Amino acid sequence: MKVYRLRIAVQAISFIILIYGGLFYIDMGNRMPTFSCAYVDDRGGGCFLIGFQHMLSRPFGEFLGDAGIRLLKAMGIFALWSIVLNKAWCGWICPFGFLQDMLSKIRSFFDVDLSRFGWITRTRYKSVKYIFLVLLILIPLGIANSFFGLEKIPRDWSVPFCQICPARVILPVFNGDFSQIHIDFSSNTTMVLTTIVMVLVALFFTTAFVKRRFFCSYCPMLALLSLFDKIGLLSLKKNGQRCTRCGNCSRACPMEIREIEEEKVLTNLVTQDCTLCLRCVEVCPEDKALETRFCGIPIFTASQQGFLKRQGLDEESHTNKNGA
Amino acid sequence: MDKQEKRKRLAKKIQLNLAMTVGEIFDPIDEDTTRPKKMAYFDRIFKTFTQGGEGAVNRKKTQKLIGTYCLFVPEEIIYAAGGQPVRLCAGAYESVEVGEEFLPDSACPMVKSEVGFTTLPVLSFYQQCDLVAIPASCDWKAKMAEIIHDYVPVVMLDMPKVKEGEASRAFWLSEVKRFTKEVEKVTGMRVTRSRLRGAIQMIQKAQVQFRRFHEIRKAEPPVIHGRDALEVLNAYFYDHVESWTAAMATLNDELEERVNNRESVAKPMATRLLITGSPMVFPNWKIPTVIEELGGVMVADEFCTSNRYLHDKVAVDEGLLSDMLHAIADRYLLPSCCPIFSTTIDRRDRLLQLIKDYRAEGVIYHILKGCHPYDVETRIIEKLLQDNGVPMLKIETDYSPQDVEQLRTRIEAFMETLKGQRHKEKS
Ligand code: SF4
Ligand code: SF4
Ligand code: SF4
Ligand code: SF4
Repeated sequence: MKVYRLRIAVQAISFIILIYGGLFYIDMGNRMPTFSCAYVDDRGGGCFLIGFQHMLSRPFGEFLGDAGIRLLKAMGIFALWSIVLNKAWCGWICPFGFLQDMLSKIRSFFDVDLSRFGWITRTRYKSVKYIFLVLLILIPLGIANSFFGLEKIPRDWSVPFCQICPARVILPVFNGDFSQIHIDFSSNTTMVLTTIVMVLVALFFTTAFVKRRFFCSYCPMLALLSLFDKIGLLSLKKNGQRCTRCGNCSRACPMEIREIEEEKVLTNLVTQDCTLCLRCVEVCPEDKALETRFCGIPIFTASQQGFLKRQGLDEESHTNKNGA
Repeated sequence: MDKQEKRKRLAKKIQLNLAMTVGEIFDPIDEDTTRPKKMAYFDRIFKTFTQGGEGAVNRKKTQKLIGTYCLFVPEEIIYAAGGQPVRLCAGAYESVEVGEEFLPDSACPMVKSEVGFTTLPVLSFYQQCDLVAIPASCDWKAKMAEIIHDYVPVVMLDMPKVKEGEASRAFWLSEVKRFTKEVEKVTGMRVTRSRLRGAIQMIQKAQVQFRRFHEIRKAEPPVIHGRDALEVLNAYFYDHVESWTAAMATLNDELEERVNNRESVAKPMATRLLITGSPMVFPNWKIPTVIEELGGVMVADEFCTSNRYLHDKVAVDEGLLSDMLHAIADRYLLPSCCPIFSTTIDRRDRLLQLIKDYRAEGVIYHILKGCHPYDVETRIIEKLLQDNGVPMLKIETDYSPQDVEQLRTRIEAFMETLKGQRHKEKS
């Protein structure tokens, strides 16, 4: 089976498990490094970010006791999940990533060109996800503590990222739950935040339609996951000498990562924004230039022959025994 | 005698000389019984040069002929627009003197030969082109359009020299798109999504055979000579890609059989050489012929007319027209290790990989007099090879047959040192 087909299949199955798994009593815990949103009633596992933000909104003193242990345990489980599959959570499992891929499919079906970032924009954009990450840590802390003698942040800022997370509005819809589509007028803060989320939802559909994985480029989960880039059991390796810098990989990369093409020296190519979708390995035409490994064992390696096959030439192998 | 008449006579004379050269090349080849039988298909293409190249180019009469130079002109686009590409890079000593009327002495023999063939009717397909696409690769090529535009319709493709930049890539993509429009105008056929997809696949199928051929060349003992490898890729210049692919498939089948039977074209322990530098085009086979006569084997080359010609591949991603054009533009620019670009990074790595894969014992660096880009890179490559312990022989020559004996002496001495080294390593 071709890798991109396998990936769609895995994504679809993951989508079903994560969105409807509850109906079959599946529960994979609430510490998953993926947007398996906690607002989805029948979910089969929950997004780490909501619990993380809750656990952070405590007075500093409490972190020395039970609350601290609970936080460490949660982070430990999160780390374990992340180390085993690395960024494949994003490329292969995340329901929100899957939705974006489907929107891209629809776009290409309608023959609409994709748009790309300029190189400078692309680099600048990388920092946006860290801004979200820092805010989703600091705001909860600021709710329970006062920084530098300033006033504490009001309660209605709790779980701030979830309040503006477009997944909260979109994913429950697949459960038949439309209740998140509204603007909350209970306070000025909630009104502003829920308005922001509605704007982000609208942006999500429009941007994901014209640009591959637009949301992922500023997703704070990706920022957290990339802490484990270099120690994940699943890895993406490059052999610079075999690479011709043909650019096929970076052109096909949904995250528009240029390092994958440019790098000639470093061997570990799980970069900050990589989602380990492995599209780059599929379109690399050089023997062993790129390789995916699990625990150091090669599981998917680029090759000339494999490349030509994946380009749709496998049916034409009559005259040659070991050619196509 | 009027000028017209004079030129006609000159053309006749050159045609005769060319025919003699072709004969001299193929007479011993035809007698060689160890040669793969399926080479006959490719031989035929070059043997038609004796009749003014009539029949060398494989096309239907109604098809427009698009001449190309270097390896930057996207053939996928020409095929998708219903045209037939023919690569016009030339290697004939006979037409050099004609080109000299238009060019300074310091120009390389290749560009002289090309201008000669374009301005004087010796090989018919040079005059039959409905459009000739010239990339502004080296300085000679950059000026060529102006020199020959009275003889054939020309389109120039401007080339960025620093291919790493974002703007260079965007610029090259726009050149490829402009070229597409120019070809469409000539052929009267639009490049559509499905036609382009088809053309890309056609060339990818050729690449399947190309790859297979180069895998076979890695075999020890070698089952085909380097000169014949140059020949099959040189034949691709003139052939229709589908006919070429079919012929390659049968040749590969034969070669695989030879690998199984361990049928070698050389003596056991023959010296394995890799050749790089300025391209060699038929009938400029003097160096490969000398190597072969001395009992060595050219196991690999790094020429844009041969090993590099079909190596790089277009990767269709989403399959939209714009996506495919982008992929084509990238394929012709980014992986190219042509010395006109600012860095040698890609060429260095490619060479080292080839030396490793084909277990080459030494490298011959070929420079055509006047070919500045390859000349400039000599030092860097020499140092690279030195650092990696690979001996290198630099040969600077042109198309004239006069220095063959001198070359033979030098190559022989080089092969001797390689043999000496082999003994040293053993003991
Ligand atoms: S709203 Fe977003 S961040 Fe919060 S639980 Fe749902 S997916 Fe996770
Ligand atoms: S980066 Fe994309 S795929 Fe990964 S968790 Fe965020 S939304 Fe999901
Ligand atoms: S596709 Fe492969 S050969 Fe091409 S630039 Fe990427 S890694 Fe290098
Ligand atoms: S670098 Fe490769 S695996 Fe990572 S996101 Fe890009 S295409 Fe996917």
